[in-house]
Amino acid sequence: MRRTDFGDLTQNVTEFGRLLRARGVLCGPREVLDALRALRVVDFYDPDLFRYTLRTTLSHRVEDLKIFDAAYGAYWAPPAPAPERTDEDGGERPQETEGDAPAEADVAVQQWTNAEQQPEGEQEVPGYSEQEALSNKDFSTFQDEDLDRIAALVVEIAKRIATRLSRSMRRAKRSHRIDMRRTMRLHLRWGGDLPELAFRKRRIRKTRVVLLCDVSGSMDVYSRFLIQFVYALQDAIGRVESFVFSTSLTRVTPALRTRTLRAALDRLARTVPNWSGGTKIGRSFRDFVDHHAHLLDPHTVVIVVSDGWDTGEAEVLSEAMREIQERVARVVWLNPLLGSPGYQPLTRGMQAALPYIDVFASAHNLDSLKDLEKVLVAQAAKLARGGRR
Amino acid sequence: MKFMSETLRAERPTLGNIDQILGALSEEGYIAGREIATSIFLSIALHKPLLIEGAAGVGKTEIAKVMSRSLSTDLIRLQCYEGLDVNTALYEWNYQKQMLRIRLEEQTDHTLEQKENAIFSDQFLLKRPLLAAITHHKAPVLLIDEIDRADEEFEAFLLEVLSDWQTSIPEIGTIRAEHVPYVVLTSNRTRELSDALRRRCLYLWVDYPDFRKEMEIVRRKVPAASEDLAEQICAFIALVRKLDLHKVPGVAETLDWSAALVHLHRRALDRAAIEDTIGALCKHQDDQRLLRGPWLEAALAALDDAKRNGEGWDSALERITRTLKPPH
Repeated sequence: MRRTDFGDLTQNVTEFGRLLRARGVLCGPREVLDALRALRVVDFYDPDLFRYTLRTTLSHRVEDLKIFDAAYGAYWAPPAPAPERTDEDGGERPQETEGDAPAEADVAVQQWTNAEQQPEGEQEVPGYSEQEALSNKDFSTFQDEDLDRIAALVVEIAKRIATRLSRSMRRAKRSHRIDMRRTMRLHLRWGGDLPELAFRKRRIRKTRVVLLCDVSGSMDVYSRFLIQFVYALQDAIGRVESFVFSTSLTRVTPALRTRTLRAALDRLARTVPNWSGGTKIGRSFRDFVDHHAHLLDPHTVVIVVSDGWDTGEAEVLSEAMREIQERVARVVWLNPLLGSPGYQPLTRGMQAALPYIDVFASAHNLDSLKDLEKVLVAQAAKLARGGRR
Repeated sequence: MKFMSETLRAERPTLGNIDQILGALSEEGYIAGREIATSIFLSIALHKPLLIEGAAGVGKTEIAKVMSRSLSTDLIRLQCYEGLDVNTALYEWNYQKQMLRIRLEEQTDHTLEQKENAIFSDQFLLKRPLLAAITHHKAPVLLIDEIDRADEEFEAFLLEVLSDWQTSIPEIGTIRAEHVPYVVLTSNRTRELSDALRRRCLYLWVDYPDFRKEMEIVRRKVPAASEDLAEQICAFIALVRKLDLHKVPGVAETLDWSAALVHLHRRALDRAAIEDTIGALCKHQDDQRLLRGPWLEAALAALDDAKRNGEGWDSALERITRTLKPPH
């Protein structure tokens, strides 16, 4: 079924490893070496063992397994393919290469996330006037060519917020814990009864943000900005967990961790089912409560980005919202429609959710993002003091 | 110091071949597929940690237990939780004992340095799981359970330990492992683990057992259940797992439920039997309500038909799942 002498095998396994890598599996020379070492100790004439061996050595996460199985079927197909394998490999991946040049905004995000905190004097925001000109324009009215510039400004705002947030945390961490090790040393020095106690600083607990973004239909453009905004904040406010939903819920935190945010968002749009179909907010939230309940604690701020157009049953939504609100520090609902003159939150979904929202705000332009800043800063300060709601 | 040793990675027994592991696993009451056995075998043979992921209740923790029993070595378990810190995982000083010693030393004319050396020595050290594993006299199995529940800082620290197998305690010095432990990590995927940690491990995904394997498990663990009953139980569970439930029953639930049915002297599944024992099968009220609905009769009838027609269970279950209308 395949060429079996070890020289060829080495080459084939290496090639197979590259194929997996090209399809997005975390697989490099280290994994290939492991696979080859493993094949020396198992009976690789046994087709099952051969496959299991490659599976356990070349994959690292459950998402890899599907890719692995598909690639395995194609590569180690029963009739030994012709020797020139390389074209097949090259031809497989026209649109999936990682080579896209990062857009300006992503560079901004990266530079910032990588950078150490700057001294306070250097807080000048470049292009401030430009920001003012754009700041009350609705996101959905921007032209494509504006988007990168706007994204850069969104990151800029996030950066200023982050600086303020970390300052308020520093101020608040006053309580201490006894450092037994140092106390013992003091004790030893002075002998006798308990000497002065040595203290150590308490670890600060950072706020966690859970972002639930509606990506159905017209919400898409707002969600993109918000994801970017919160992503840029995550160094300062602790962990950010991001989910997108339309008819179902998808966790996108790992996808957003890739270095090119824009590419990640585009890929999401392709892979997330029903990126712009009808919306089942209630069912998605139910799913969230049931499967991600560990994210819900008094240190968490949940931010929902949605226009509240729910096509499911209203009770499902209100029940899920109630459970979420009970467990977390704060529920923020951002509804871009709130920015339109004369808008009233009358949809059934919005009505069902309203009783369980702590902060109801719009997030349709740069100004409103600055309002969001106030909410988050206040919350972080409160949490750092150990209070709730 | 007694921990110090040049012989890193002393003799590590391997388990022979994969079929022997399968045998050892099944002797210990664990019915594993060959894929699981292959991963265990390679984890031992390549000296690489094994990362096991899968839904709750598929027996991930069991694998480590079985591994230690088959290697006849000790199992050292580190249960992770949010806020787990290095002190709890690695070592702590025994403060009470130190205090007593200081009192006793008061009358002696030992120098400060001597006193200090005395109370910061090996006998005042409380070994927590990681240090216990590093200093064990024979390579143990170190189970790091639910690593996804610990936070990222701890994960980074763990990564360091897993790559160097040494740690330093300021008062004592560097402690290096004499026998590199076999490491099993489990995760329920509540948090994404770092790539660095993943790449250090072999990977194994454990799914719910298929019909045949589950039958074997029930027959072995609940021998009082007749073959017919076990067959009905496993087929029914397979259907239940396809439903959109809050909490999908794992193998433990299958076994509890089987035992409950046997205790109530039920010979076959019907509505009454299921109503009486549903607490062992489903622990969420909404799930129970769902199962109790009219769906139940349809499901039981479909299973009866399949049994009567002598159709193979794998294809029958697939067909029934496809055609049966799910409950609301």
